[in-house]
Formats: sequence, C-alpha cells, structure tokens
Amino acid sequence: MPYEFRLDERRFNRLALLAILVGLGLLVVAFGTMIVSAMSNERATQWVRHTYQVIDELDTLSLAIERTETAERGYLLAPDPVRANTHRRNSALVMPSLGRLQSLTADNPRQRQLTAELRIKLVDQLATIDDMMSRAENGQLAAAREEFAKRVKVRQIDQIRALESQIRAEETRLLNDRQSVESKRRSQFILVFGVTGALLLLAGLATFALVRRYTRDLAKARDRLHLLNTDLEGVVSERTADLRRANEEIQRFAYIVSHDLRSPLVNILGFTSELEETNRSLGALLERAEKEAPQIVTPDSQAAREDLPEAIGFIRAATQKMDRLINAILKLSREGRRTLAPQTLEMAEVLGDIVGSMEHRLAEIGATAAIEQPIPDLVSDRVAIEQIFSNLIENASKYLQPGRPGEIIVRGYAQGDRLIYEVQDNGRGIDPKDHQRVFDLFRRSGVQDQPGEGIGLAHVRALAYRLGGFIDLKSELGQGATFQVNLPATYTDEGVPN
Amino acid sequence: MNDQRPVNIVMIEDDEGHARLIEKNIRRAGINNEICHFTNGGEALDYLLNHNNGPKLNGPALVLLDLNLPDMSGTDILAKVKGDEKLKRTPVVVLTTTDDKVEIQRCYDLGCNVYITKPVNYESFAEAIKQLGLFLSVMQVPEPEA
Repeated sequence: MPYEFRLDERRFNRLALLAILVGLGLLVVAFGTMIVSAMSNERATQWVRHTYQVIDELDTLSLAIERTETAERGYLLAPDPVRANTHRRNSALVMPSLGRLQSLTADNPRQRQLTAELRIKLVDQLATIDDMMSRAENGQLAAAREEFAKRVKVRQIDQIRALESQIRAEETRLLNDRQSVESKRRSQFILVFGVTGALLLLAGLATFALVRRYTRDLAKARDRLHLLNTDLEGVVSERTADLRRANEEIQRFAYIVSHDLRSPLVNILGFTSELEETNRSLGALLERAEKEAPQIVTPDSQAAREDLPEAIGFIRAATQKMDRLINAILKLSREGRRTLAPQTLEMAEVLGDIVGSMEHRLAEIGATAAIEQPIPDLVSDRVAIEQIFSNLIENASKYLQPGRPGEIIVRGYAQGDRLIYEVQDNGRGIDPKDHQRVFDLFRRSGVQDQPGEGIGLAHVRALAYRLGGFIDLKSELGQGATFQVNLPATYTDEGVPN
Repeated sequence: MNDQRPVNIVMIEDDEGHARLIEKNIRRAGINNEICHFTNGGEALDYLLNHNNGPKLNGPALVLLDLNLPDMSGTDILAKVKGDEKLKRTPVVVLTTTDDKVEIQRCYDLGCNVYITKPVNYESFAEAIKQLGLFLSVMQVPEPEA
C-alpha cells in the first residue's frame, strides 16, 4: 500500500506540474493574441484616421483650387479687389496643402504617382491663373479673358478634378484593403484566442479533475490511516492480551512444574530418611556383630558404616538444594500472580524503613547507608518497591571490597515522566561481562562467598518489569556497583501484562 | 464404648512413595487402623459410595486425600463426600503438595476438616503425620443410632 501511494503522489505531482505549465503556456498565447489583436485594431483605427486625414487634406486642397478658380473667373468677369484678394489667399493655400498631401501619401507608390501628376498640373494651373490675374490687374483684362476662354477649352481643371477623385478613390480602396487585411488578421487572432481559451478551459478542467481525484485519494488514504490508527489501539490491546496470556501461561507453567517437581522430592527425601534410619539399625547390628562374632564382618560391610552415610548426605544436600531452587521459582511465579495495588509512596520513608531494618547488620560489618535528599515520590505497589530496594540494598551490603568500609548511597531523580533510583555501593563490583548474567535466575558473579541461590536480582528485575520499568547496572570490578531502577512515576496496568 | 467400631482410613494418593511414607509414619505413630489405599479418584469414589465395606454402607472412616490425582481433581472427591447426606460427617484430611492459598481456601469452603501441606523436609512431614495419628487416636466415632 505505501508503494502504490507514493507512486500516485509522484504521478500527481508530474501531471499537476504539466497542467500548470500547459495552462501557463496557453495563458501566454492568449495574452499575446490579445495584444497582437489589440495592436491590429489600433492599426486599423490608425489607417482609418490616416485615410480621413488624406481625404480631409484632399478636400482642403480641392476647396483651395476651386476657390482660386472661382475667384479668378469672378475677377475676370468683374474685376474687384476683394476677388483678387480671395484669389491670392486661396492660391497661397494650394501648394502647402499639396505638400502635406504628398507627405501623407508618400507610403503608397500609386498615390505618389498620382500626386506627382497632380502637382505638375497644379503648378501649371496656378502659373496660368497667376499669369491671367496679373494681366487682368495690369489692365489687360481682354487679353486675360481671351486666354481664359482658350484654357477653358483645354479643361485643365477637369483633369485636376479627375486626378483628385482618383486619389480619393485610391485612398478609399487602400482603406478598404487595409481594413479587410486587418479584419482578416483579427478574425484569425480571435480564432486563436478562442482555441486557446478552449484549451485553457480544458486544461483547467483536467487540473480540476486531477486535483479532485487526488484529493479524494488523499481523503481515502487519510480515512484508511485514521481507521488504521483507531485500529492500532485495538491491535495494541490485542497484543497486550496475547502478552498477558503468554505471561499467565508461563506463570502457570512455572507453578505447575515447581509443584510437580516437589512431589518426587518428597519421596527422595522421605526414603533417604528411611534409608538413614535403616542404616542406623544396620550400623548397630554391625557393631554387635563385631563384638560378638568378628569373623562374619567383612571389609565390605564397612560400607554400611562409611559409604552409606556419605551417599545419603550427598543425596540429602542435593535434594535440599533442588527444593530451594524450586521454591525460588515458585516464589517468583507467585509474585508474578500477585495483584498490584498502586499507591503514593513517600520514598524517603520507604527507603528509610528498609535501611533502618538493616541497621544492625550494617553496623556489624561496619558499613553505612545514606539516602540522598530530596528523593522523588512515586505511585506504585508498596510491596514490590520494598522488595526491589531491600534486595538491592542488601546486595550492596553483602559484596564488599575487602579492606574498604562499605558505603551505600541511595538517590533518585526524575527524567520526564519516569523516575530513576540508584543504589550505589563501593563494594567489589561486577565484571562487565557478567552484567546481564547477574539478572538471570540462579546465576551469580564473582567469588561465591555469600549464601544465596542467585534469586534476588532475577526477582528484582521481574518486579521492575511488572511495574512497567527496568533495571540497569553500571560497574567495574573492584570499583563498586550502581544499580539503576527506571520506573514510571505513576504505575498503570495499561499495557503492562500481569 | 465397647461396641465402638474401628475407624477405617481411606487413603487416596496416586504417588506410591508418598502413600508408603504416610502409612509408615501412621504406623510409627501407633495407629493400627486398617488403611485402604487407592491410586485414582474413580476407584476411591466407588469404594466410598458403593462398596460394602465402604464408609457409606459400613461404618466410620477417615479420608486422607491428595488433590493431584490422575483421573480427577481431589476437590471433586471432597465436594462429593461433603455433599453426600451420609458421608458429610466423615472427616477429610487433605494432604497435598499444593500450598496455594486459593486452593486451601477452596478446600475449607468445601468442608475439608484439616489441610496439611506435604513438606519436602522429611522430619516435618513425619511430624505432621504423627500429629495426624494423634488426631486419629482421640477421634471417637459413636454409632449414629447410639
């Protein structure tokens, strides 16, 4: 399941990244299209304005030409200085207007050609008109009129008008062309824009679907995790129950085994005693025989007096030892079945009582025991705690370094919600290779000069485990030993098999 | 007093060695009553309840009972004896290796008269049996009709 989950996440990340990149690209395209489209629009508007400028200029030009012409004609009919003035004013407007027109239409070869033609015609026309006007003003009115009549026949003004209208038509045609180009371009961009928009929408939808699916997967995974978490408590309590059952099984096993082992022991010891009894009467008989009929006493029969008691002695000692061992197992198993009653323990008092009860023995061996204050209190089973510390303190007083008065220090401190108690001595110490061994049942370390079966520390460790703690040992040979008992500040039977 | 009948001792003990040691020590205590030995619970119950010489049909008895029997638990026998109208006054001495407090209490609840733990230490064992012999010697079982 974790593998599948990781793969999903990776695929999602890849797809999401892809979708984001595609979306970004599409956005850029859409934005670009919009800008280009707007620029095209702007260009189209500019072209329209340009065309209107051209046409406007053309109108101005046309008006100036017509007015010049009209003023000239009017003057020729009735010479009036007002008309001469009008002529002068308007004819002065023609060439600048044409110049502006030419510069406006400079971009188009056809218009350039047409305006160039117009210029030639206009220069000629203006020159002719100026000539006539100057003649008329100088009194040669008749000659001027004659000239005029001649010129009317040529109809130069009509050619000018035709050119003007050609330019106008050309400009309109150009506008239409340009408009249609821009319009075509715009519609292309609108198409691109539309496609981009559609793609963007698609990408958005895909991303949405992806995110939705992923979120749903995530929610499912979370639900599964939640279920697993909730279930975990169940699993833990199941395991705890298993552990408890296994522990009970061991306790029962120890109990039954130790009981059933006792039964044959009763026989062995009982009949050993019977043998001893018989041997005693046999010995008496032998003594009588030695006195009354020494000839029937063979060296072999001496066995009854020497070998038998020896054999019986060994059998008895071995069986008694076995009995002690069985009793130790029985005691441990019984201890394991005892119901714990947690209560607040004032450790200074509890430890003080233990040390107090050993005062006599300590004084005898010249050892001292001190409890470092302050020492933290804990909530636990009183009997178990008393057994743990009386065992440890007793051990500390038992294994002294020869020639060094015993000093035992008991201290305690808190570490989080655990309490650590130390029993430190300056005794003969324990070889590091034996550190685990000393906690095993029937195992001891160092010189065997003290009575005991090797039960104490096994018992202490079993008790510490039962109280939800553990015990550790720091020691070097000849350097004393420090036993560390790590216990929960408050004992609860949750998760602790009992 | 003269027509007082001897008390039969019914010993229910699966371990032959234990049975022999118990018998020896009873005899050493000067008790000469007849001892009927059974090594399993079924036969013992049959004798107690149905046999012509059994305590139910024939006279007073004392039951020495071991709790660990091959075919049934001694407490079942105890419960049957103490639950029987005619047998319930028969003294039952539980003599076993079990020194579990719960077990002892259960035996007394069921009506056991004496509970003796077989000590591994033989001297204590012999002493306990002798005490039992003393108990037997002072035990008077009058006739129900008398």
